[in-house]
Amino acid sequence: MATNVVKVDRAALKKAGGAFGIRALLVGLSVTSRHFFRNLFGWIIGKPQVFTVMFPEQDIAKPPSFRGMPVLVQMDNGKERCVACGLCEWACPVDCIHIVPGETEDAIERYPKIFDIDMGRCMYCGLCEEACPEEAIVMSSRIEISAFSRAGTIWHKSDLLVPVDELPRRLDYVRLGYQR
Amino acid sequence: MSDGAAAPGRFKKPVKVTIDGREITAEAGLPLLQVALDNGIEIPHYCYHPKLSIDGSCRMCQVKIEKAPKLAIACNTPVADGMVVDTQADEVAFARKGVMELLLVNHPLDCAICDQAGECYLQDYSSGYGSQESRTTSPRRKGLKRHPIGERVIFDQERCILCRRCVRFTKEISQTDELRVFGIGDRSHIGTTAERPLDNDYSINTADICPVGALLSRDFHHKRRVWFLQEYESVCPSCSNGCNVKLGIYQNEIQRLLPRRNDAVNDTWMCDHGRLNYHFVNDETRVRTALVRDADAAFATTLDAALESAAERLRGAIAAHGASAVGVLGSPHLTNEECFRLVQLVKAIGTPHFDMVVPMGTSDDFLIKAEKAANARGARAVGVAPGEGGKDARAILDACTSGELRVLLVVGSRDAALVLGESGIRDAAAKLDALIVVDANRSPLTDAATVVLPGLVWAEKDGTLTNHAGRVQRIRKALDAPEGLIPEGALFPRLAQLVGRAAAPPAFDAAATLRELAQAVPEFAGIGFETLGSLGLELTQQIPASAAAAAEPAPVQA
Repeated sequence: MATNVVKVDRAALKKAGGAFGIRALLVGLSVTSRHFFRNLFGWIIGKPQVFTVMFPEQDIAKPPSFRGMPVLVQMDNGKERCVACGLCEWACPVDCIHIVPGETEDAIERYPKIFDIDMGRCMYCGLCEEACPEEAIVMSSRIEISAFSRAGTIWHKSDLLVPVDELPRRLDYVRLGYQR
Repeated sequence: MSDGAAAPGRFKKPVKVTIDGREITAEAGLPLLQVALDNGIEIPHYCYHPKLSIDGSCRMCQVKIEKAPKLAIACNTPVADGMVVDTQADEVAFARKGVMELLLVNHPLDCAICDQAGECYLQDYSSGYGSQESRTTSPRRKGLKRHPIGERVIFDQERCILCRRCVRFTKEISQTDELRVFGIGDRSHIGTTAERPLDNDYSINTADICPVGALLSRDFHHKRRVWFLQEYESVCPSCSNGCNVKLGIYQNEIQRLLPRRNDAVNDTWMCDHGRLNYHFVNDETRVRTALVRDADAAFATTLDAALESAAERLRGAIAAHGASAVGVLGSPHLTNEECFRLVQLVKAIGTPHFDMVVPMGTSDDFLIKAEKAANARGARAVGVAPGEGGKDARAILDACTSGELRVLLVVGSRDAALVLGESGIRDAAAKLDALIVVDANRSPLTDAATVVLPGLVWAEKDGTLTNHAGRVQRIRKALDAPEGLIPEGALFPRLAQLVGRAAAPPAFDAAATLRELAQAVPEFAGIGFETLGSLGLELTQQIPASAAAAAEPAPVQA
């Protein structure tokens, strides 16, 4: 395999930049300063030139392929779509999902009595969503999981439910996977 | 149990068959399917069950046999000399695919809510031999869902593939005939008549043998996914038959008991009572701490303190009234090893008044035995019996109420409490200097006891149990014991040491204790953890006639 060897004349470089690299330092500082002043004036006149979002006041539209917190899809009747089949619990590589199944009198007889996700453990891999046969758990665009205690990072079923109307883009994206 | 069209043992002549190019020697007359399975060759099947008669209704086990005009079902084809079988031919694969498609035409595919998912033959064979796509467009037929077909069994008609295993079970094994096929052709379905639900003593076995999720155990319904269960081989503790079971454990809790095949004991069956009798392991009656009663108030204490308190009372009674003022009731629920340690404790105390109360109940001519304890036979063999001039269980309890005995040590208190009765317990508690109870669950006796030493349940310890016929079988530790508790086998030697009549014991090790036991008791010669295997071994000697009279079970129905 041919390799491209670049010869660097270190002595010449040193001579051009001064003994302590002062020239390189000044070049770097000038780039930083240029951006600082441009942004400062841009911000003052209301036309910022760079991509900076004032989180959490501002947010960006994430693409449907974005994998944030996994959430449970809530049907129009207010109930979860999940039937506690346990496949996400099994697929989860970090064991952050805990489900206790229960029985209802509804036509769909099985539901999760308890559905907990330890967000502190979740690694947002999306395998739960991939394993789900009911399109009941999807990766949302939510990313705010901070809490004041370890117990606070465990999200319960009521926290996880998101109405199906808020998730159409992600559900469409999930369905793309069926054709693969 | 069941004599199929070709019962093993009736034919002795060996024949040579070739399956997939492998030459196999088998007994003539055995079903080809069984021969293949015994030799590790997989042939998919639904309706065939080794302990039931042959039905041939699922058509899944079709194979190509040379010189036969068409494919034949392996379950109803007895092996014959020179038979050449191909299980991998293209037409076999095509036939299997066709069978799978027909079975799935009306299957609801509700695996997500089906308890069978994970151990479902329909899932396995569909992925192995079926098609990935459905060609049907018409809606699937609707049927009964969650139908309470019996007290302990739930029926889902849509999932049923009509293999008729359950029908044959109620006909041949439980012999109660509740289940029948009703209707004809594609309208046939399994059902019961209105006046006879499926509620025989063995009904949940139909859920075990159901290859799909049509019949389900109500106790396990929507309880836990089977792929999360850790399974441990054990023995059912509910009667002296000693049915082999698998414990399904999830997060240190028993989720279900399943029968495990052992042709010498229970074939592949077990009774419903035994299967559902595990809730005592973790219910509100469980004794989780040692208790010492002082001036009418029981207070929880450490195990060490309670042991010391028990030993002090024993020492006091022996010093004041002699060793024969102490009575000891053992338990037929203990393992052989623990009984051995208890016998040593009684010898250390020196009392002859030592016996056990064996709970008795109903029995039938199949699996259910009258002795409702797992190890009465083993306890007798190890020596849980009155010594020279000692009283038997009834006399010991009477002597407690009459004040003849000063201290009573009871292991496993529920049965003794039943014998004593409410007034008997009051009298005994009033007359005795001390009532020391070792038990895992609360009973009227633990409520009246001076000292309660917590015990462990069978799923929390290693050891062996001896069934009514003298078969020694292994139980395994499947659960972690509640914090701070030790097995009875460790408790007894410590008590013996504290009473001051034995040396400091080594840590309790069931395997080592069994070795010691095998040397001390001739009946147990040659029995050890390494020789028992998963199916157990018979004791070497016959039961002494006197003990046998009490223990003699009804003969197992042939």
